[in-house]
Amino acid sequence: MELPRWRPGKLTQIILHFILLAYSIIVLYPIGIMLLSSVKGTREIFTNPYGWPASLRLDNYSKAWKLANFSVYFQNSAFVSVMTILVLLFVSSMAAYVLARFEFRGNRALYMLFISGLMLPVRLAVVPLFTMIRDINLLDTRTALLMVYVASGIPFSIFLLVNFFKSIPKEIEEAAIIDGCGLFSIYYRIMLPLIGPALATVGIYNFIGTWNDFFFPLIFLRTKSKYTIPLGVMQFFGEFTNQWDMLFSSLTIAIVPVIIIFMVASKQFIRGMTAGAVKG
Amino acid sequence: MNSEIPTRQSSFLLFIRKHNYLLLVLPALLLYTVFIIYPFLNSIRYSFFEWSGVGPMTYIGLGNYHTIFFGALQEFFVRALKHNLFAFVINFSLQTIFGLGLALALYAVTKGSNLYKTIFFLPNTLSTVIVGFLWNLLLNPQWGMVNRFFEMVGLDFLSRPWLGDPKLALPTILAVSAWRGLGFPILVYLAALLAIPEEYVEAAKIDGAKGFQIIRHIYIPLILPTTFTLMTLSFIWTFNMFDLIFALQGASAGPNYATDVLGTLFYRITFGGMGSSATGMGLGAAIAVVIFSVLFPVSYLLNRISKKFEL
Repeated sequence: MELPRWRPGKLTQIILHFILLAYSIIVLYPIGIMLLSSVKGTREIFTNPYGWPASLRLDNYSKAWKLANFSVYFQNSAFVSVMTILVLLFVSSMAAYVLARFEFRGNRALYMLFISGLMLPVRLAVVPLFTMIRDINLLDTRTALLMVYVASGIPFSIFLLVNFFKSIPKEIEEAAIIDGCGLFSIYYRIMLPLIGPALATVGIYNFIGTWNDFFFPLIFLRTKSKYTIPLGVMQFFGEFTNQWDMLFSSLTIAIVPVIIIFMVASKQFIRGMTAGAVKG
Repeated sequence: MNSEIPTRQSSFLLFIRKHNYLLLVLPALLLYTVFIIYPFLNSIRYSFFEWSGVGPMTYIGLGNYHTIFFGALQEFFVRALKHNLFAFVINFSLQTIFGLGLALALYAVTKGSNLYKTIFFLPNTLSTVIVGFLWNLLLNPQWGMVNRFFEMVGLDFLSRPWLGDPKLALPTILAVSAWRGLGFPILVYLAALLAIPEEYVEAAKIDGAKGFQIIRHIYIPLILPTTFTLMTLSFIWTFNMFDLIFALQGASAGPNYATDVLGTLFYRITFGGMGSSATGMGLGAAIAVVIFSVLFPVSYLLNRISKKFEL
């Protein structure tokens, strides 16, 4: 929707493009270097950091993949992230539906309780979380991560979803009741599909946050076979500190899938991740 | 409605049958209470005890807080706090100047903005810690590409131990964090600019305003609420900083605590221990409570102020 707006003249446009291009180079430079270095040998990285590789060492990737045990890390990251958003979307959409569409005493208070979580940075509760998880024998499990991620995603999710639910006209619900739909049916077959975009927004926001998170895996996980990707990369950097070809390859393996998915779905990504700060 | 025939069901069950929709709220409420509310309240409780994490807890009242503000931890706490404040000022300045500037540029160009938007936001999708590891390599004093670049173009004096020099380390880390995070304010500002009604701009043009004047008198005042929102987020973000510093400097936040922030201090105390009397979970919990006591009022205040600026 292109409305007429302030459009400076040709010369200014060229200058603006120059500025934007310059910043683009700043952004892409580290990623470019990373890709370039990941197909070189370590010595070549040291002696010829900006040159084209003498030969494209694509086997760096397979070596790094095996050495760093990436298949395990990817599996763990995928499991935790996917399960988190499934559980999160399920429990929070149910709760949001009730909070938005039903009047009962304590509705407001319950809503406020959930929203207050937006102001509580969950990391600050990590001491009791740690001891509690340890005491119920869930330390060093991916389940512990799952619980914590879902719980910390609830405030924002409910906040966003309640708003969406409120905008659905009452007639739809009333028609469903007349048709004899039960509570869960209404929720599952009618309400959920109607808030598809909101679910996608919450889903992406939490998926990326969970996939990239380092802090909680650092705190909770002890066995290497349970590590998620960020923790796994840290481990790898500690073990292979001087083998820069491996280091750059491992970074590439860790980052490139995210970049590719982002390039494909950039609009949804951006909408999901800036939700809450952008009005409308 | 339930029938009025008295049954032997408890009134609780009757309540549930009447308000059965409340069951839908239960899973979320349970998870949230158990894993967020309860630990949070417990944090406050732990802060009044001395505890190593296992074994007995010793009640010491405000002892931990005394250690933080007046005792063995004071030097570290004050320094970390200063670093957080410094980080906030720099982070907010960078995001306002460059974030808004680039957003204005994006707003004004006739084409290519979608491509630029995608490029600019790309680093935001990457894990902070992985970004840290990448830049760790790039900023390596000997082999890192940054210094090699300076040497290649003859700017040798710029080839420094960016992360190793106590005076340069924190600004360097903040620059890296800006590289990663600038996409967010850029896009938020852009959306705010696009939301400005055309009539305002047209009216200004009719009054004869030129480019820069339009910026100063129309756009900037109208995006003040957005600036406040971003300020709040920047504050929260810089006071929670941990991952990037951990990746670039380790938990001890060197060199010589030059990059120590409340987050790394908290981590060290709670999980790393520091030897002597300043160690343990109770103390860590106290630091967490202090951090929260700073975060909450300030972000609440900023939120209220930003509401005042909304039209």
